[in-house]
Amino acid sequence: MIETKHLSKQFVGRMAVDDVSFSLKRGEIVGFLGPNGAGKTTTMRMITGYLPASQGSVQVAGYDIFKDSLKARREIGYMPESVPLYEDMRVKEYLTFRAKLKGLRGSGVSENVNRVIELCTLGEVRGKLIGVLSKGFRQRVGLADALVHKPALLILDEPTNGLDPNQTRQVRGIIGSLGSEHTILLSTHLLSEVEMMCSRVIIIDRGKVKADNTPENLIQEFRASGALRLEIKADAEKAQKQIAAVPGVRRVMREELPDGWSLFQLKLDPGADVREPLAALVAKNQWPMRELSLRGVTLEEVFVELTQRQG
Amino acid sequence: MRTLFILLGKELRSFFFSPVAYVVLALFMVISGFSFSQAITLMGEKPTETSIVQWTFYPRWFFFYFFFLFPLITMRLFAEEQKTGTLESLLTAPVRAVHVLLAKFFSAFIFYVILWIPNLVYLGILHWVSDGRVLIPLGSLGGAFLIILLIGLFHIAVGCLASALTRNQIVAAIICFTLILLHFLLGMFLLLMAKDVPVEYMGIVNYFATTQHISYFTIGLIDSRAIVYYVSFTVLLLTITHQVLEYRRWKA
Repeated sequence: MIETKHLSKQFVGRMAVDDVSFSLKRGEIVGFLGPNGAGKTTTMRMITGYLPASQGSVQVAGYDIFKDSLKARREIGYMPESVPLYEDMRVKEYLTFRAKLKGLRGSGVSENVNRVIELCTLGEVRGKLIGVLSKGFRQRVGLADALVHKPALLILDEPTNGLDPNQTRQVRGIIGSLGSEHTILLSTHLLSEVEMMCSRVIIIDRGKVKADNTPENLIQEFRASGALRLEIKADAEKAQKQIAAVPGVRRVMREELPDGWSLFQLKLDPGADVREPLAALVAKNQWPMRELSLRGVTLEEVFVELTQRQG
Repeated sequence: MRTLFILLGKELRSFFFSPVAYVVLALFMVISGFSFSQAITLMGEKPTETSIVQWTFYPRWFFFYFFFLFPLITMRLFAEEQKTGTLESLLTAPVRAVHVLLAKFFSAFIFYVILWIPNLVYLGILHWVSDGRVLIPLGSLGGAFLIILLIGLFHIAVGCLASALTRNQIVAAIICFTLILLHFLLGMFLLLMAKDVPVEYMGIVNYFATTQHISYFTIGLIDSRAIVYYVSFTVLLLTITHQVLEYRRWKA
């Protein structure tokens, strides 16, 4: 559905997107993750044809977005990050205008407008001016606009940005219900959202793709190079040296707890399980111990690990 | 073509749903009504060479409102959409940038034409109440309307360009005002210099001077050079505007 090859965008003095290649198959819901300024919006703008790429190509539904722009754009429903809408238009009027603009004709216009009004539960505000709507409604009008011409591909730039928890759930519910008919690329920095809705995650940082996998696989990969938590009462500095010397331990972080105990957070080599040698070490030194546990990894930690800025 | 009409409909609609349109319309009617009544008064006092058409379409205070009219009509066109970001959703829909440009241009032009309709009504009323005794020369009326339309095309294209250059409506209005003023002064300057200019350069002077064009056309002297001048400059300005819109995407 989407095929990007070596996509790059250079702004004055910096690479916003640097050699990004990925593809989406029909029916997939893919989360596009990255810290602010990572290049998510720029990539999406290139896919939708709003910005031309400095290098590389984008194909949407088999059409090149640059050479066959109109045909490719007909396949896309795009909701930009700020959800720009004409404030002086009424909801139904706006959707009708957009439906016509996107090539719907005759009875197809009102049919589809009514369909998306119902789908996005906009019934109660259909006659209201967009300018007076709350953020949640505006977001749903933007979504309805993206959906009105039944595009094969939906590109949603932070669809739940700035919504309260209830509105977020509503919007997620709508997106979730679309899954089977549309291919969806959605950007967000809410990781729970990705875990809930997406079958695949692409993590991007400073313009480069850092990971492209299912959420489960990503977590798995990182659990393999797991983390361990140990709380003991001991001469912290000496203990840290001894723990670090255990084979399989890659890094030890020490934290003095206020009640006199010390907390050690251990990063382990992939596949290593050091619980037994560690327990033996604690027993040998007769340190009082109150916790020794392997920690589960969340997608959030994967994200932080992949996108943390050095220095 | 259909897309163009859909966009044009939307643009016209937002024209007439904005208060600016009515302020402009009201002010314009006050001014044109005033110049019309002045014309009637003057013509009633003593015989004059100037026809009612000249008085109506080319009064002495013409340029006072002329400079403000076009910035007010055009400043909104692109600046607003760039500010609110709606240009992004507009240009990612299956729509050509040319269609967006032409729809905006013609919506402003249609509004401009509507501004002038009351003047025709005034002349009609005058004709009616005077039982046709006031001479309304049709040739000069046609010429006057033609030059009004041509000037409109040109200056609205200037306004489109100004509005595409910035996301701030005030800045757009100032740019448009400045460009129109410069063009006007260029024509005036050349006219004032005319005495010192060798005869063979007078053609250039006449080519630029809007005031000169208006005075010719309102007496019914339809000069094809002026038509070519305004139409070709309109096309040139719209082409530049199109390039500006595209360039913004390439740059940003």
